[in-house]
Amino acid sequence: MGTSVQVTPLSGVYGESPLCYLLAVDGFRFLLDCGWSDLCDPSQLEPLAKVAPTIDAVLLSHPDMMHLGALPYAMKHLGLSAPVYATEPVFRLGLLTMYDHFLSRWQVSDFDLFTLDDVDSAFQNVVRLKYSQNHLLRDKGEGIVIAPHVAGHLLGGTVWKITKDGEDVIYAVDFNHRKETHLNGTVLTSFVRPAVLITDAYNALNNQGYKRKQDQNFVDALLKVLASGGSVLLPVDTAGRVLELLLILDEYWGQRNLKYPIHFLTNVSTSTIDFVKSFLEWMNDSISKEFEQNRDNPFLLKNVSLIINKEELEKLGDAPKVVLASMASLEVGFSHDIFVEMANDTKNLVLFTEKGQFGTLARMLQVDPPPKAVKVTVSKRIPLVGDELKAYEEEQERIKKEESLKASLIKEEELKASHGLNAKASDPMAIDGSSSRKSSNAGSHFGANVDILIDGFVPPSTSVAPMFPFFENTAEWDDFGEVINPDDYMMKQEEMDYSMMHGSGDGLDGKIDEGSARLLLDSTPSKVVSNEMTVQVRCSLAYMDFEGRSDGRSVKSVIAHVAPLKLVLVHGSAEATEHLKMHCAKNSDLHVYAPQVEETIDVTSDLCAYKVQLSEKLMSNIISKKLGEHEIAWLDAEVGKEDEKLILLPPSSPPPPINFKQFLENKGWQVEFAGGALRCGEYITVRKIGDSIQKGGAGSQQLVIEGPLCEDYYKIRELLYSQFYLL
Amino acid sequence: MASVAAALRSVGKRAAPGGDREDGDRMVITPLGAGNEVGRSCVHMSYRGRAVLFDCGVHPGYSGVAALPYFDEIDPAAVDVLLVTHFHLDHAAALPYFLEKTAFKGRVFMTHATKAIYQLLLLDYVRVSKASVDDMLFDEQDIHRSMDRIETVDFHQAVEVNGIRFWCYAAGHVLGAAMFAVDIAGARVLYTGDYSREEDRHLPAAETPPFSPDVCVIESTYGIQQHQPRDVRERRFTEIVSSTVSQGGRVLIPAYALGRAQELLLILDEYWSNHPELHKIPIHYASALAKRCMAVYQTHMSSMNENIRNKFGCSSNPFNFKHVESLNSIDSFHDVGPSVVMASPGGLQSGLSRQLFDRWCEDGKNACVIPGYVVAGTLAKTIINEPREVTLANGLTAPLNMQVHYISFSAHADFPQTSAFLGEIRPPNIVLVHGEANEMARLKQRLVSQFDGTNTNVVSPKNCQSVEMFFRSEKVAKAVGSLAEKVPNVGDSVSGLLLTTKGFTYQVMDPDELRVYTRAQLSSANITQRISVPYSGSFEVVRYRLNQMYESVEESAVQESDVPALVVHQRVTVSRDSETSVTLQWSSDPISDMVSDSVVAVILNISRKGPKGVRAEEAARTKEETERMAHKVVHALMVSLFGDVKAGQEGELVISVDGDVAHLDGKSGDVECENAALKERIETAFRRIQGAVRPIPLSAS
Repeated sequence: MGTSVQVTPLSGVYGESPLCYLLAVDGFRFLLDCGWSDLCDPSQLEPLAKVAPTIDAVLLSHPDMMHLGALPYAMKHLGLSAPVYATEPVFRLGLLTMYDHFLSRWQVSDFDLFTLDDVDSAFQNVVRLKYSQNHLLRDKGEGIVIAPHVAGHLLGGTVWKITKDGEDVIYAVDFNHRKETHLNGTVLTSFVRPAVLITDAYNALNNQGYKRKQDQNFVDALLKVLASGGSVLLPVDTAGRVLELLLILDEYWGQRNLKYPIHFLTNVSTSTIDFVKSFLEWMNDSISKEFEQNRDNPFLLKNVSLIINKEELEKLGDAPKVVLASMASLEVGFSHDIFVEMANDTKNLVLFTEKGQFGTLARMLQVDPPPKAVKVTVSKRIPLVGDELKAYEEEQERIKKEESLKASLIKEEELKASHGLNAKASDPMAIDGSSSRKSSNAGSHFGANVDILIDGFVPPSTSVAPMFPFFENTAEWDDFGEVINPDDYMMKQEEMDYSMMHGSGDGLDGKIDEGSARLLLDSTPSKVVSNEMTVQVRCSLAYMDFEGRSDGRSVKSVIAHVAPLKLVLVHGSAEATEHLKMHCAKNSDLHVYAPQVEETIDVTSDLCAYKVQLSEKLMSNIISKKLGEHEIAWLDAEVGKEDEKLILLPPSSPPPPINFKQFLENKGWQVEFAGGALRCGEYITVRKIGDSIQKGGAGSQQLVIEGPLCEDYYKIRELLYSQFYLL
Repeated sequence: MASVAAALRSVGKRAAPGGDREDGDRMVITPLGAGNEVGRSCVHMSYRGRAVLFDCGVHPGYSGVAALPYFDEIDPAAVDVLLVTHFHLDHAAALPYFLEKTAFKGRVFMTHATKAIYQLLLLDYVRVSKASVDDMLFDEQDIHRSMDRIETVDFHQAVEVNGIRFWCYAAGHVLGAAMFAVDIAGARVLYTGDYSREEDRHLPAAETPPFSPDVCVIESTYGIQQHQPRDVRERRFTEIVSSTVSQGGRVLIPAYALGRAQELLLILDEYWSNHPELHKIPIHYASALAKRCMAVYQTHMSSMNENIRNKFGCSSNPFNFKHVESLNSIDSFHDVGPSVVMASPGGLQSGLSRQLFDRWCEDGKNACVIPGYVVAGTLAKTIINEPREVTLANGLTAPLNMQVHYISFSAHADFPQTSAFLGEIRPPNIVLVHGEANEMARLKQRLVSQFDGTNTNVVSPKNCQSVEMFFRSEKVAKAVGSLAEKVPNVGDSVSGLLLTTKGFTYQVMDPDELRVYTRAQLSSANITQRISVPYSGSFEVVRYRLNQMYESVEESAVQESDVPALVVHQRVTVSRDSETSVTLQWSSDPISDMVSDSVVAVILNISRKGPKGVRAEEAARTKEETERMAHKVVHALMVSLFGDVKAGQEGELVISVDGDVAHLDGKSGDVECENAALKERIETAFRRIQGAVRPIPLSAS
């Protein structure tokens, strides 16, 4: 039987909530993306929380919040512990996106859903793959092969192909078939007839204009504002679509020799561009070709300045400028702050290049007509002073005490255990939820840190000999004195050589920009002060689609081309999903599914299959004929023991029409379509009757070749036959 | 898909292949270069009608056509894929020639970094050799054109071309160096190219493929030698350099412009950083080429190892050297006081390194450090043996006083690495290439003893000497669709379409379901043919003639309007559509086509003879009349055979021969006769006459 496949959306269906789906292939549970909106609302993740511990592998497709935002939180709090698979750019840029997001949040709130350490540890589990790399899963997933393929949209963006027993499940969301300035179009169309295709309906109702014209409009809009003395704010993501915008702007500025400054402002902008510079092989062919031939790296960005804090921007004053700042949703981050400053001036322009996430400030501003005023919260992190500082310090002191108390209790527990006591010792403290969580921490400290029992503690009655924990440090002696370990005294040559290289430890910490590091390392106690205010929106607002997703028409034709046996639609407004569903259901013979959140659908293919071995004897008798890319033969055989055995009688049956017209033309015939028939030469017609939209199943066609008796007739017939395998 | 190597044999012996071995199962591996030599790496592999060429280099010791691999041995047009492992001249420099000057039509693949450097390196090669060589193999234009045909492949990325699946692993050695694994119909070949399993400052160690290839084509440059540990070599190197310069000497490091040079610069730059007292002594790096390639090194950080990537992550690019200056030509070099100069070429054949060598070789304070493998026939190889005198570039001889040190930083595998590598991947067949004959022979011997008893074949073919291997690959087909609704039992018969894709996967299915299950969207169709034959005579004549000709001619069951129609053998419908033509219609298959062709012939025949050849009453003859006619013919023929034949009652024939009388039943053919011999003769005669008189039964229908 075929491979069993089930899909359960955990979020991101019938709407624009973040993407997160559960795919089970023969019981192996993949989590497809792990997104979170910029609002970071843990309640969004409830469906994920239920299944997180059972996940066997996570596949990430794009380096932005909507596709991987919840990963650190899920790893930390929801018990997600599976290995994560992603391409190198998705890993790097995703990491930077999360850093940026955390820093933006942390500066304006007591953000505690995850920390930078959580981000680091979540991304440490990532297995990095190359495009088209077939990765074999092991153990539980034995026999499953996963491979990332080019998706377009974002750098490193991935269409995942999951193969088991020759059946493909393809997960392709947010793909872009168009070639862009920095990215290749998706290779999705090269997959033909997969068992299941999971794709999104996000853009099913949108259609785009020509890219060149769109780019021109975009630049024109900017220049108009700049020329009239205004500034432009482009709220962007950290390391995704912004790369495309930067390239367009940098190139245009270079060509026109424009002097208006362009600033790219995120917490991690310099690192982002540094890494992007070394990802040329992931970009489009003309960029890698340009580099191979002339060693030009477009991401040197001669006309863009990379800045990582707002002070630098403020130094520049009010001169007209273009600022690309994160985050695209305007919820928090630099874009939020700059918006508040710029909104009041009619000369300015805030240009959205992507549709705002649902429920965010950006979305509010994108409605038509735009609101006259919006309420925003302006927050700032300031150092503590005076009483507050004192209170904070006292609090810290208290916490520290509690910690040490707990630690000692746990140590006590462990001591008891090490003394072979009954583990069920009735210790009221053991019930304390926190102590069990802490035990792992304390365990590692144990032994190094010898702080001891505290007074006022009653030893449990069950303990045999409550004793001060004393460990004798026994040194071994032999005839020559104390036995030493020579290794302790060795000069570590290697280590010295590598000291420079290993300097950065595991390397992850090192990658945050210095400015941001300063923010973090700055351990002065601080607090967040916020005040609500209303901002008059006087500046002009505009939206241009630079999302880099295939539009509705292309999505439809891509689906028709790929022609999956089963299609699962996710992510997209209810109307868009319904529209695409209706469209696909009427156009072809495929089965279309559009599940609701937490609705499990079974898309196991009804394909029956078994494997047989072809005996050498059989194969040597087979006369196969080349047919396009395939070779085809009629097979008659008898089933033998264990391996297929026995005779083969040749012939009986025929196959497929290729583009016969073109073929004839190549052979030098006058061919034209007239009245539904193909006229070849003067007399002969070839027509196709029966269902021209070939249905699956009994897909036999009727071809009629008609004409008077003449030489041409037989020539045409011969050519027609040559296109078929006559059996 | 395990495949078993059945035999391994050199073509030289040319033993007749076993009877059951198909040609398609034979894999042939032929080194066109690098067989028992170092240089012009080029290995040809063919299996199942597909051909792969690994590497395409020139021999640095020769020039012109002599430096090329033996391309004459193969048909370039038949090569599907050419895989280039790294950018060194002995692995890539024949590529423009092969692409532009031969019939090669296939596709070329290399890694991104290799391609970027390949162009620079070859342009430089052309520029340098132009000066000394008359018959250039190719020019700059050929190189630029070749760039358009080269496709890039990333490490681990699987590519399929015409049924050949391949992917590559990091090989160490130089930036972008790869070892290629090729899979054709389940038979896997690993071609290591040059590789090193030792991680150095910027390159990762070669990966070990997680599978056991059926054949491993492996380099044997260092044979059974063993490298010193890397830190020992590095220390020796830095000590020689620092002691020489501190005594006022100059250090010449002749190195290949790319590859090891970058590694040595990383070492020197770090050493200088740690020793402030050396800061005043310049390190020159005399290669415009390497300077140009630096951008590639600075960009392709992802092909390097973790150490350098981490370093990149936390500080500036490590390839921005702080203490190294580049030097454009010897004229801009102020040769005053101690200095360290790294110059190409590595073999001291010509160029800047040779000029400096000539200038410095007489001074005993100076030192020359040869940091890598040197090819036989070059000056560098000569001076390793420390001769008293050397011949300068201008032909004069001079005493060799400068100290010559040979410290190998060459990133080729030594014996322990080779042996461990092969021990881990356990290939049943090992083909040694890229090594001098002696080294190779020793390595072969050691490997044979190492893998003794494990059924491992080790061969070291010479150039153009083919190695043949036979694989009996197990072919497993997948039955799908309605055919596979239940798993058949032993003895059941299976029939369906067998579809073989380019990638050698097999599927068995019902022809009707072809479209559902094929990836290529094949489908099945019937071809109906309708042909009109000019004929203006009476349709009755046609009917008559057809009745004469064919066993089964019936009135068409489906009458379209009132057009008379006949169905011949239930296949071909003959109808009278218009006054001037007869239309034939049938659906194509070989038998129907044959029947229809004969019908056409019959009709044409009628037209030719004209309608007058047929009598009306004959056309209207009944079956009985046919019988009577047949009887008459039988009678006449019997008379001619036996003479005295009388017609008896009810079609009985009475035959008298030499007094013996036989009665022959004209219908059933029963013969009553006392003479057995005569009876037999008559029976045979009757059978044959019947066969001639009656229409031929169409057994296939």
